[in-house]
Amino acid sequence: MSQVACGAGARATLEAKADRAKASAILTAITRLFTLLVAALREIFDESAYARFLDRQRVASSPAAYGEFLRESEIAKARRPRCC
Amino acid sequence: MNRFSPQYSPGPDFLMPKVLRVLLWTSISLLGAFALATIALHRGEQINAMWLVVAAVATYAVGYRFYSSFIAAKVLAIDPRRATPAERLDNGRDFVPTNKWVVFGHHFAAIAGPGPLVGPVLAAQFGYLPGTLWIIAGAVLGGCVQDFVILLFSVRRDGKSMTEMAKTEIGKLGGFVSYVAVISIIIILLGAVALVVVNALKSSPWGTFTIAMTMPIAVLMGIYLRRIRPGKVLEASVLGFVLVLAAIFGGQWVSQSASWATVFTLSGATLAVLLIIYGFAASVLPVWLLLAPRDYLSTFVKLGTIALLAIGIVVLRPSLHMPPLTRFIDGTGPVFAGTVFPFAFITIACGAVSGFHSLISSGTTPKLIRREPETRMVGYGSMLAESMVAVMAMIAASVLQPGVYFAVNSPAGIVGQAPEAAAATISAWGFPVTAAEMASLAHAVGEQTLFNRTGGAPAFAVGMAHIFSNSLGGQAVMALWYHFAIMFEALFILTVLDAGTRVGRFMLQDALGNVWKPLGRTSWYPSILFTSGLMVAAWGYFLWQGVKDPLGGINSLWPLFGICNQLLATVALCVATTIIVKMGRARYVLVTLIPLCWLVAVTFTASYHKVVNSNPRIGFLAHARQLASAAADARLIFNDRLDAAVAGVLVVLVAVVVIESALEWARVLSGRKAAEVREAPFVMTRLALEEQG
Repeated sequence: MSQVACGAGARATLEAKADRAKASAILTAITRLFTLLVAALREIFDESAYARFLDRQRVASSPAAYGEFLRESEIAKARRPRCC
Repeated sequence: MNRFSPQYSPGPDFLMPKVLRVLLWTSISLLGAFALATIALHRGEQINAMWLVVAAVATYAVGYRFYSSFIAAKVLAIDPRRATPAERLDNGRDFVPTNKWVVFGHHFAAIAGPGPLVGPVLAAQFGYLPGTLWIIAGAVLGGCVQDFVILLFSVRRDGKSMTEMAKTEIGKLGGFVSYVAVISIIIILLGAVALVVVNALKSSPWGTFTIAMTMPIAVLMGIYLRRIRPGKVLEASVLGFVLVLAAIFGGQWVSQSASWATVFTLSGATLAVLLIIYGFAASVLPVWLLLAPRDYLSTFVKLGTIALLAIGIVVLRPSLHMPPLTRFIDGTGPVFAGTVFPFAFITIACGAVSGFHSLISSGTTPKLIRREPETRMVGYGSMLAESMVAVMAMIAASVLQPGVYFAVNSPAGIVGQAPEAAAATISAWGFPVTAAEMASLAHAVGEQTLFNRTGGAPAFAVGMAHIFSNSLGGQAVMALWYHFAIMFEALFILTVLDAGTRVGRFMLQDALGNVWKPLGRTSWYPSILFTSGLMVAAWGYFLWQGVKDPLGGINSLWPLFGICNQLLATVALCVATTIIVKMGRARYVLVTLIPLCWLVAVTFTASYHKVVNSNPRIGFLAHARQLASAAADARLIFNDRLDAAVAGVLVVLVAVVVIESALEWARVLSGRKAAEVREAPFVMTRLALEEQG
C-alpha cells in the first residue's frame, strides 16, 4: 500500500516537474517572441539606430546628441522611399 | 547537409519525420486547391471570406516552402558561407548585421503602402475572383520572386541600387530608363494617391479635421523627440496615436457643429491646393520636424491596423456579397474602363507585383541582411505578407452589397449627380440599391453622402467599418470605424506624399547637378526650393487634372500609375534575368523570364489601349478627340494628350531595355561575350569560420 502511495507520489512529483518545465519553456518562448517584437519595433522606429549612434560616439542620450543623430541620418532618411 | 550547404533550409521540417512532412504538405496543398476551387467555381450563393484567406495562406505556404526554396538553392545558389555587406562593411550606421525577423519587419513596413489597399478595392468591380486569383498567383510567381532575387543580387553587390545594377548589368541605357521610370512612377504615384485623399476628404468635415490635426500632432511628436525625450520614438508614437484617436472623436464634434463643419467642409479643388502646399512644405522643412514623426506615426498606425484587420476577418468571418464575376469584365465598368485583361492586372499593382519594391529591396534592406539565406524570408516572405494585405482589401470591398460598392465608387459623370438617378442607373445594371439606403449608410458613417466617392479609400473604409461594426461596438460606432479607416489611409498616403516628394527632389538634384553643380548640392536652399517646386508642380499637375476630370480622375490616373509600376517591375526582371544568364544558370531562367513576359504582355497591351483605343473612356487620344469635337476646354484635351505621351514614351523606353537585355542574353548564351558577374569578391563569413573551428 505504502509502495503504491510512494509510487503515486513520485509520479505526481515527476508530473509536476514536467508541468513546470513545460510552463518554463512556454514562458521562455513568449519572452523570446516579445523580445524579438520589441527589437523589430525598435529597428523600424530607429531607436536601435540611435542606440548604435550613442555607442559609436560614446555619448549619453541628450537633446544635443539626438540632434546630431538626426543630422547624421537626415540624408539617408530623406532618401528612403516609401512604397506605394 | 549542414547549416552551410546551399540546400540548407532552416525551418520546422527537420524536426519532423519524412512521412509526417509529406502528409502535412499534401494536406496543405489539397486544402489550398479545395479553397481555390471553391472561390473559382462557386456561383449564385455568397461565400465566406475565410475561403479567400485559406486559399491565400495555403498557396503562400506551399510557394514559400517549395518554390522559394528551389529558387534559393538552384537559381541563386545562395551561399551561407559568403559574408554579406552588412558583415563585411559593418559601420553601425548604414551597414548593420541585423536579426532576420527584425529585417523582415523593417522591410515589410517599408513596402506596405496604400497601393495594396486601393488597387484591389478598385479591381473588385470585376467581381472578387479575377483580382483574388491574380493577387495570389502574381505574388507567388512574380512579385515575391522579383523582390527576392533583386534583394539577393543587391546583397552580392554591396547593397547597390536597382538603377546602378541596371547600368552595370544591362548597359547605360538600362540605367537611364530605370531612372526615368523611377521618377515617372514617383510623380504619377503621388498624383494618383493624392487624388485618393482628395476624394476621401471632399465634403467630409470629420475626415478633413482629423487629418488636419495629424500635422500639429506630428510637429508635437517631433518636438517631444528632439527636446523632451530624445530618441524615444515608440513612446512618442504611442502618444501620437492617442492624440490621433482623440482627433477622430473631435472630428465627430466638428462635423456636428454648424459653424466648424462649414470651416472643414472643403471642395476637391481646395483640398488639392492644400495638399500641394503641404507637399512643398514637407519637402523643404527639416526632416525631424514633420517628415520623420509623421512617418513614425503612420508606420505605427499602419502595422496596428493591418494586424487588427487580419484578426477581424479571421474572427468575424464575414460573407462576400460581391459576385465572383460581374458584367463589367467586358470593359464597361464604371469605376474604371477596360476589360479584365489587362486592366485587372494593372489595377491590382502592388498587391501582386510592384516595381517600386525593387527600389526598397536594393535600398536599406540589403545593408541589414546578416546572412545570404535570410534574403529568402525577407524578400519572398515580406511580399507574401503584402499580398495578404491585398487579399484583405479585396475582402473589405467584397463584403459590401454590390449596389453600395458601385454607388460609392462610380463617378457622377457615369451614374449622374442626383442620388435617385445614380441609384436607378446602378440598379439597372443588376445591383439593386436605393437612395434611401445610401442616405442611411452615409448617416451611419457620419458623412453627408457616399455617392460618387471615387478613389477606393471610402469604399475600403465602409467595408472595414462594416466588418467591425458587426461585433466591436455594433452599428453605434460605425462612424468611428469609418473615420478611423479614412484617417489610416489618408495618413498612409500623406507619408508616401511627403517622403516621395523628398526622394524625387533628391533625384532631381542629383540629375541637375550634372547640368549646373550648385543645383546638385542637397543642402543649398535655393536648390532645395527650386527642385521641391519642380517636383510638387509635376505631381500637383496630375492631381489637378484628376480633380477636374468629370470621370473622377481615377479612371485615368490609376491605370497610368499601374502601367508605370509594372514597367518598373519589367526593368527589375530584365536586370534579374540578365544576371541569372551571366551566372551560367540559364536553364533556370524561366523563373524570372515567365513573369517578365507576362508583365510585358500586360503593360504593353494596357498602354496600347490607354493610348489608341477608340473608346473615349479607355483611350486618351480618343477622349481628346471627343472633347475636341465637343469644343471642350483646351486644357482637358492637352491633359489627355500628355497622358498618352507619358504612357507611350515609357513603353518605348522599356521596350528598348527589354530588347537590349535580350541581345545581351543572346551574346552571352552564344559565347560571343564572356559571362561575367559583377559581384563583390567572396569573403568567408565569420559565422562559418567559427563553426568550422
